[in-house]
Amino acid sequence: MNRSMPFEIFRYAAILSLVALSLIPTLWMVSMAFKPIAEWSATGAELTWWPNSPTLDNFRFLFGESSSDLIVALDRTAGQPILSSLLSAVFGTIIAMMAGTSAAYGLSRFGSGGNLPLALIQLRIFPPMAVMIPVMIMWAFLGLIDTWYGLALVYGIVTMPFAFWLMKTFFDDMPREIEDAALVEGCSRLRVFWKITLPMMRPALASSALFVFILNWSDYLIALLLTTRDWVTIPVYMASLSSSMTGQLYGAKAALGLIAAIPPVVLGIAIQKHLVRGLTFGALKQ
Amino acid sequence: MTADILEAKAEPVEHEDTRDSRRLGFSLTLPAQLLILFIAVFPILMQIYISLTDWSPLDGISWWQAHQLWNGFANYTDLVADDRFWSALWRTVLVMAICVPAEFLLGLGLAILFVDNFPGRGFLYSVLLVPMMVVPAVAGYMFFMLFQSGGPVNDILSFFYGAPVTIAWLSDPDLAFFAVIASDIWQWTPLMFLILLAGMVGVPEDQLRAATLLGASWTTRFRTIVLPRMKTIIIIALAIRVIENFKVFDNFYIMTGGGPGVATETISIYIYKVTQQELIWGYVAAVALVILISLSVVSAFAIKRMSQSREAG
Repeated sequence: MNRSMPFEIFRYAAILSLVALSLIPTLWMVSMAFKPIAEWSATGAELTWWPNSPTLDNFRFLFGESSSDLIVALDRTAGQPILSSLLSAVFGTIIAMMAGTSAAYGLSRFGSGGNLPLALIQLRIFPPMAVMIPVMIMWAFLGLIDTWYGLALVYGIVTMPFAFWLMKTFFDDMPREIEDAALVEGCSRLRVFWKITLPMMRPALASSALFVFILNWSDYLIALLLTTRDWVTIPVYMASLSSSMTGQLYGAKAALGLIAAIPPVVLGIAIQKHLVRGLTFGALKQ
Repeated sequence: MTADILEAKAEPVEHEDTRDSRRLGFSLTLPAQLLILFIAVFPILMQIYISLTDWSPLDGISWWQAHQLWNGFANYTDLVADDRFWSALWRTVLVMAICVPAEFLLGLGLAILFVDNFPGRGFLYSVLLVPMMVVPAVAGYMFFMLFQSGGPVNDILSFFYGAPVTIAWLSDPDLAFFAVIASDIWQWTPLMFLILLAGMVGVPEDQLRAATLLGASWTTRFRTIVLPRMKTIIIIALAIRVIENFKVFDNFYIMTGGGPGVATETISIYIYKVTQQELIWGYVAAVALVILISLSVVSAFAIKRMSQSREAG
């Protein structure tokens, strides 16, 4: 809008300082993840902002290799929690996408579903904490506590509203002429959906699925309530990296945090174009 | 005459088609409906039942036998007198009242800076989005590290102060509250920025150019052309953050566990702690129901208002 020189200088100064502020916490964690124990346990004057002698010890420690500097060893490595996060998020995404996509198609083409859209918004507004008591009781009854599939089922339901709204906007945007042509040729409605609509929607399905995956991967509270030991997810496991005996294992926690942070950041940047649509329930397209 | 024949012929076919597609539409939405029934409708009925009892998982009886511990509406009357509940609720509202406007103003400012093209825009845009994609629990842990008394925040302060600063951020009630607020603003300003920028880019160029030619100043153009067009988007962005902020748990709980004392205890942390530590689930069910019902009423009202204004506009 404005192209005067002082404005340009102000713009860069303001943007760069905000970028720096938004990067510091992340960079600090990255730096901690590569510091040897002597550096990550340093405080005050000895504090270094960047690792002097970068090392992968923290990552090795997470996967069960005890280092000479750190006398403690983990009773459980980070392998199982990473697997648990992956399995529950992936299968949660599959459940959410299957139920959400078919419901979105039903609503977009046949107007069926009644109060479903409103119910899905309501589901999003409720704090998960306020419906978890009965879910915990049900899950205990069904033997689903501390299993990755029990967690995946809750994830699938909790993130279904996003899958539904995203796919609904994509279906609404899709021209119907192609479907109509196939119907005239004598294809059944279901066949058209399966053989024509879904293959055309492949990019939309992929970005919706990635969006839902990020949400599932980011959960903490639900895993905290529904897993106890064998299938705890990464954020829940992270708390076990500090004890009264060892204190805070900053380096190991930072390394694990980095492992947890990478997938959503990479995928999020990959689907940047659709983030607005996903976050606003399809009310706004970029 | 011919038209009549065509219509008469077409009608049964049309009818069959709609019945078929209605059946297909119904079966397509069925899985979603069942899942909602499974996690919302049935659990809420169960919650109503439990909330009328003193049941706890340690009582050794199953939840369906909870009627043996029937206490009528005692949980609800206890709730009215529960200071910790009201203070957690008030604190949650306070967090919203600070975080949402701060995130909105910062996001709006950033969006204004980013609205037209400049070298490096795409890259800086992606970098600014990183915080909101970091797992909230991990963000909580990042800020936990930053605010340690021997940590980097104090290190920066020492640099400006000239002498070592060792503020125990997370063990002082006021400072801990400030720290958790900072983590929330850090993480969610990018979301406001993203949504507001998307709305701002949609404003037609030619209108702005015409206004510039007519001699309208930048502020006038912004106030009279850009802002009115962004009204719906601003409402959506604020609504999303209000909803999410009310649920806030992850980063607060990891940074302070709701403490020191109850200084950073929001409503979600309060419910979690009563569930896990005090194990009076009958009471928790009552608390949760009161919150669910109030939220349903507020949200139904808000959605109705929004769809009305959309029809009017």
